[in-house]
Amino acid sequence: MGLGRSSTQRTGRKFLPAIALLWFATLGGAFGATLTATLDRNVVPVGESITLSLVFEGAASAQQPTLPPISNVTVTPGTSQRNELSFFNGQQSSRTIYDFQLVATQPGDVVIPAIQGQAGGQVLTSQPLSLKIVKAEGASAQALTNLAFLRLIVPKTEVYVGEPFAVEIQLYWQNAQQVQIPQLNPDGFSLGPSPKPTQTRTQVGNTLYNLVICRLTATAARTGALPFGPAECSLTLLVPTANRNRSRDPFESFFNRGPEFQARPAVLKSDAVTMRVLPLPKENVPAGFNGAIGNYRMTASAAPTNLTVGDPITVRVQIAGNGPIDSLQLPAQADWRDFTTYPATAKTDLNDPLGQSGVRSFEQVVIPQNHEIQALPPLRFSFFDPQAKAYRTLSSPAVPLNIRPAASAAAPTSTLTNGTADATPPPADDIVHIRPRLDAAGAAAPLLVAQPWFLGAQSAPVLLWISLLLWRKRVELLANNPKRRRQREVAARIRDGLKELRGHAGAQKSLEFFATLFRLLQEQLGERLDLPASAITEAVIDERLRGCGVSDEVLKPLRELFQTCNAARYAPMTSSQELTALIPKLEGVLSELQRLKA
Amino acid sequence: MRHVAVLPALVLLFLRLLANRLLGSLAPLIGAPARSWLLAVGFATLGLGAGSPSLAADIGSDFDAANKLYEQGKFSEAAAAYQKLLDAGAPAEAIHFNLGNAWFKAGQLGRAIAEWRLAERSSPRDPSVRFNLQFARKRVTGSDAPAGVLWQRALRSLTLNEWTVLASVLLWVWFLLLALREFKPMLRKVLSGYTSTAGLGALLLAVCLAGAAALQFNTRPAVVIVPEAIARTGPLDEAKVLHQLRDGTEVVVLDEKEVTVGESKQTWLQVRDNARRIGWVKGDQLSVLAAGRT
Repeated sequence: MGLGRSSTQRTGRKFLPAIALLWFATLGGAFGATLTATLDRNVVPVGESITLSLVFEGAASAQQPTLPPISNVTVTPGTSQRNELSFFNGQQSSRTIYDFQLVATQPGDVVIPAIQGQAGGQVLTSQPLSLKIVKAEGASAQALTNLAFLRLIVPKTEVYVGEPFAVEIQLYWQNAQQVQIPQLNPDGFSLGPSPKPTQTRTQVGNTLYNLVICRLTATAARTGALPFGPAECSLTLLVPTANRNRSRDPFESFFNRGPEFQARPAVLKSDAVTMRVLPLPKENVPAGFNGAIGNYRMTASAAPTNLTVGDPITVRVQIAGNGPIDSLQLPAQADWRDFTTYPATAKTDLNDPLGQSGVRSFEQVVIPQNHEIQALPPLRFSFFDPQAKAYRTLSSPAVPLNIRPAASAAAPTSTLTNGTADATPPPADDIVHIRPRLDAAGAAAPLLVAQPWFLGAQSAPVLLWISLLLWRKRVELLANNPKRRRQREVAARIRDGLKELRGHAGAQKSLEFFATLFRLLQEQLGERLDLPASAITEAVIDERLRGCGVSDEVLKPLRELFQTCNAARYAPMTSSQELTALIPKLEGVLSELQRLKA
Repeated sequence: MRHVAVLPALVLLFLRLLANRLLGSLAPLIGAPARSWLLAVGFATLGLGAGSPSLAADIGSDFDAANKLYEQGKFSEAAAAYQKLLDAGAPAEAIHFNLGNAWFKAGQLGRAIAEWRLAERSSPRDPSVRFNLQFARKRVTGSDAPAGVLWQRALRSLTLNEWTVLASVLLWVWFLLLALREFKPMLRKVLSGYTSTAGLGALLLAVCLAGAAALQFNTRPAVVIVPEAIARTGPLDEAKVLHQLRDGTEVVVLDEKEVTVGESKQTWLQVRDNARRIGWVKGDQLSVLAAGRT
């Protein structure tokens, strides 16, 4: 049982994250469901139909909402429903849309109230909508035929110069080709950006029309009564031909079928609208007013507030509201005279495709110029409110600042001054006066480390030390190796002895010559055989050298030299040539002996 | 350990006597022609191609003319005249010093500090240069502390050649003692203390020389020469403002980038100030102190 319970617990733990995820997803789905109401147009003439769409988003199951009573319109029986499923970035979203057809019955400003709907057991509420219903007299006059016509609708005809106003161009047609986007004559006005036109269908009387709605904003550039428009649109109308129903014979109509429509190019033109453009009031204009028109609110913050003179403070300002939000600029702040200011950077988040509503965020860097500043003075932003027909000024609170003077440190204690006695202390309130004389001593000298002679000079003590070190090592080596020392001594003696021999031969000193020759042989043999030189006799040659493996080619001339020396004691040679002739022989023998392994 | 302190001090004393006392004190005592010859010999030794007494006399007269402009209160003209002398290849410490004075009087604090710092390279312990620099720094930061940390200031207190000669002298002493030990082995015991002291001293001074050389050639000091230089996050006018550098602020150049704006090229320098703040500043707002001699 214990094992079973443990297994169950493990299984439970295993599925716990999945269950939690599912629960959160369900919860998230319920919490994330929304109901949005939209109209296919906000301005409609009397007698025309408009589509009211109620969109359930993120809801699992949505029930058809019931519309509350709406003034000035009647609701056409019958409602269409459609479902949309979309995947974006791996996220699934579903929408259920209910479309209601409303027909405008009386002119006026209508507010469609918030509509409640049920989805997934939850009651959702849409936002209220505003609809303007205009009279339909002009519309019939504008129609070229009942096949197509164009309307220019400006809900507000009295505006201030610089105040943007909404414009709608509505193009109706039954059957047409090559329909161009309507164009507007903008003389005296500047036109704002126009979002993509929307297309819908509407019923006027008993006729169903295709309807394209172009929305945009316009701004008057000068004052007075100005004509606005007209709007124009070119298209090719498909007009039904007259012989379409001439014959009732089905065979004739089948085999002799003529064109049912005739293509007829046409240019539709709307009426112009007369706009009354008022100048901005000249009274009570705020000092910092820079031309902003609309209705705004402002928030501002500044950081850091604890800083040093010269450090930047970033002032962040958000201005939100209705108006030409993207063209707003922060005005220069007269109270910020103790700060160095830099041009603000700005970005706009629009809530409205026409650019007439949103939030504009500014970031401006200001740098305090002294540490006596206590606060960043309030930021002021003035605008003209066309609804209130008055100027308004928004002001942020002053931001307290703690500003320290620039970094300071203790004066350094001078430990390496050259302390020349002639350096008179200068007055403390001015710099030391200019030098009257141009000294070569003060000229910049070339770098010593880059001079070859200097680098060469540095090697001299090193070379001296290395030489003496090697010399000492050699002396020590010889002192510790007597055989090597004797070898070097014998080599020196032989070098000197050969010189002596040549001297004796030249002087014909036979006795001295042979005595030296004998001595040299003794020295060399003694060194080779490691015997005292005095112990070397002719007998040693046979006893020791033959045992060492010396060849007869060496032994023979050696023996001859010994014998010549012995013979010379009794019959000395007196000829210089004879004596000199023995030297190469001796040198040959000595050379051979030196090659012997000691 | 007493030898460590005594030996470099003696060598330094010798150098100071040689450089300041002999040359500096003798110069006022000798006549103008002799000074011209001295200048000519000095410039010829430096390989500046001005090794003729007449050319040296010209430089001297131009220098005097610039000094006259200064005394007349024509500081900007005097600065231009001193600059002309420098451009002509007369790299004398006195010209940098006087040019610094002229810029200071003309209200160009940053340019003055830059010139005095160049003069300081030739005469790092000159009291006049040090005073003027401290005076100007106090105007900029409220403090007369020199730029750099303590070890940097210590290394800058001697010129590169002074460090070189000191290290060279100790090197010679060390190897001569080593050679003497080899030549007379019986003196080894007596010389061992001196030898190790000289060896350590030579090594220490060689390290100081390397440090001073690295400080001079691997770091690019610069001075702000406009009333307000703006340090930004990147080498672009559109980059975010980080902080402001006042005229005369001493910085170290870390990086350099050329940016093409339209048809012209802008040089931007990444700099670090004494508060270790880093930012990009336009190159024409700074005077970069070139790696100089000595």
